[in-house]
Amino acid sequence: MAKYLIKRFLYMIFVFFIVSILMFAITKSVPGDPALKMVNQQLASTDPARYQIALEEARQSLGLDQPLPIQYVKWMANTLSGNFGFSLQYRRPVIEVVGTPMFNTVALNLCSLILVFAITIPLGIISAVKKRSAFDQAVQVGSIIGYSLPTFVIALLFIYLFALKIQIFPISGSATPGTDYTGLQRVGDYLYHMALPLLVSTFCSLGGILRYVRAAMIDALREDYIRTARAKGLREKVVIYSHAFRNALIPIVTIITSWFVSIFGGSVVIESIFLWNGLGNTILTALRNLDSALYLAMMMFYVIITLIGNLLMDIAYCIADPRVKLQ
Amino acid sequence: MALLELRDLHTFFTTKKGIVKAVNGVSYSVDAGRTLGIVGESGSGKSVSAMSILRLLDGNGYIDSGEILFEGRDLTKATNEEMYKIRGNKISVIFQEPMTSLNPVFTVERQLNEVFLTHQKVSRKEASRRSLEMLQAVKIPNPTNVLKQYPHQLSGGMRQRVMIAMALACQPRVLIADEPTTALAVTIQAQILKLMNDLKEQNGTSILFITHDLGVINEMADDVAVMYCGQVVEMASVETIFGENPYSHPYTEGLMNSIPRLNTPTGVRLEAIPGAVPHPLDLPKGCKFAPRCKYATSRCLAEEPALYEIEDGHQIRCFYPCKADRTRDIEQMKEAQHAK
Repeated sequence: MAKYLIKRFLYMIFVFFIVSILMFAITKSVPGDPALKMVNQQLASTDPARYQIALEEARQSLGLDQPLPIQYVKWMANTLSGNFGFSLQYRRPVIEVVGTPMFNTVALNLCSLILVFAITIPLGIISAVKKRSAFDQAVQVGSIIGYSLPTFVIALLFIYLFALKIQIFPISGSATPGTDYTGLQRVGDYLYHMALPLLVSTFCSLGGILRYVRAAMIDALREDYIRTARAKGLREKVVIYSHAFRNALIPIVTIITSWFVSIFGGSVVIESIFLWNGLGNTILTALRNLDSALYLAMMMFYVIITLIGNLLMDIAYCIADPRVKLQ
Repeated sequence: MALLELRDLHTFFTTKKGIVKAVNGVSYSVDAGRTLGIVGESGSGKSVSAMSILRLLDGNGYIDSGEILFEGRDLTKATNEEMYKIRGNKISVIFQEPMTSLNPVFTVERQLNEVFLTHQKVSRKEASRRSLEMLQAVKIPNPTNVLKQYPHQLSGGMRQRVMIAMALACQPRVLIADEPTTALAVTIQAQILKLMNDLKEQNGTSILFITHDLGVINEMADDVAVMYCGQVVEMASVETIFGENPYSHPYTEGLMNSIPRLNTPTGVRLEAIPGAVPHPLDLPKGCKFAPRCKYATSRCLAEEPALYEIEDGHQIRCFYPCKADRTRDIEQMKEAQHAK
């Protein structure tokens, strides 16, 4: 196990560097000049000579005048030492810019993840046990509707229902304007604002996972060892929740860990509709404005998260299924 | 009095295409300490009749009518609560597939302990001690290690021993063995059969032994029930079925003729029963075996024979149970056709 983890870790470092080179190359091949952002554009018409000098200076300060390999090495060295660069668009260090959206996104996704599994696992099990009953069919229809409707439709529907018709949740934002709450009150206000985007993102993920849990459970219940468990005189509850669910857990663990990565991924649609300051829009605007330091940093962050996520998945798989050995 | 008795049991399955009468009026009984062998082709209802006893039928199966008497009680009318106490405790099962019959994510110890913890008031420690004893009883080498292992770490034969240990843990009155050796190599088969016989002698357990292997039946059973299309077609002691006997069902006769024997001359083809088992949704009207029977007459095709006792302890479901008579008849018929 330890040997495997060390090997795996070395492999992760290797992949990290390969991907970083690719990312860097792609970023550099994107047309457009980030230095333009740093220079007063009015100069171009009033004083072209000074404009050229200013542009050259800007390029130099960004290190754009150096050959690409050197740029890469400098960027990598900075990144590894914790300096993720300077966002041109916000004129602040990337790490400061990303802080708040990262927190908002992770808070929303983490709550959504917990909610999704808290709902789908029991519901999926009951559906599988009562396969083809009226209950199961209702759940099936609901889950199909849930995952076929696009997010924005569900979002608008929920806003209409829970913010306009029955005004229980605020329409958008992450804090009540004009208030100056502190401590618990602020947390409460934050959660209150998160409720609606949380409901929408949870609802959108329910269908797929629910079907997955149900299918895993139906497969497990069909196995020979379930018949053995019943023949031993075990109660139906023990057969379902201990023998069958423990086996259904193996595929479920795989998707739970694959969600680890998506916790950090922002949704542009939900963030835009609910004016939720998350990573989705932050990265999108960074791309639009050629804010390469910001999106390179974010891309590398996702690379690391994905690599860790895969490792976690393998370890979780190994714990869930004794037949799997990490070698 | 019989320990376990099935009386005119009907077990049906509802399918999209109609009702499948998997067990259609089956009666047999097992006496205390004896082994009843049930033989038949796949789909003859042998397993379903046994699973009906424990009410472990698939979702679409149900007992339509009949009685299952165990220790004088009718199990078809028992509550779920009563069934929980009988399964694995008084009546237990060994299944055909040792490779898939154990739960892959639990250790042998946990799966064995479960039986004790469910049926006997014992501590976890005591359950583990008894589990170890059971593994020793089924002659598993290195039982302390095996307890901690997962099923995938054991061979098929070992897993079947674990299954036997699990089934016999509570010293059941009846053991249902549903083709327990079919999936095993021949040498392992012999070991497992010997083990089952030894344990049966020790504990006085009755065995309901289901198989399509006549050789195994000859070795294991005291009595034999031959099943065809959800019915018992012949029932007798193993000596009667395998020995020289003036009476037999043509299906049993066919089965016997299909076994190669030491004195079968070389070059002689083994006799096979022509045709295939009829589809369960499209059963023939008269005798279920008539379409494949070389002795069948017009009466067989129109009328269904009943199971009746032809001699003491020997029941046959056939209009022409006497071997000599029906062979003579068929020869006369051939001669008559020649003469024409």
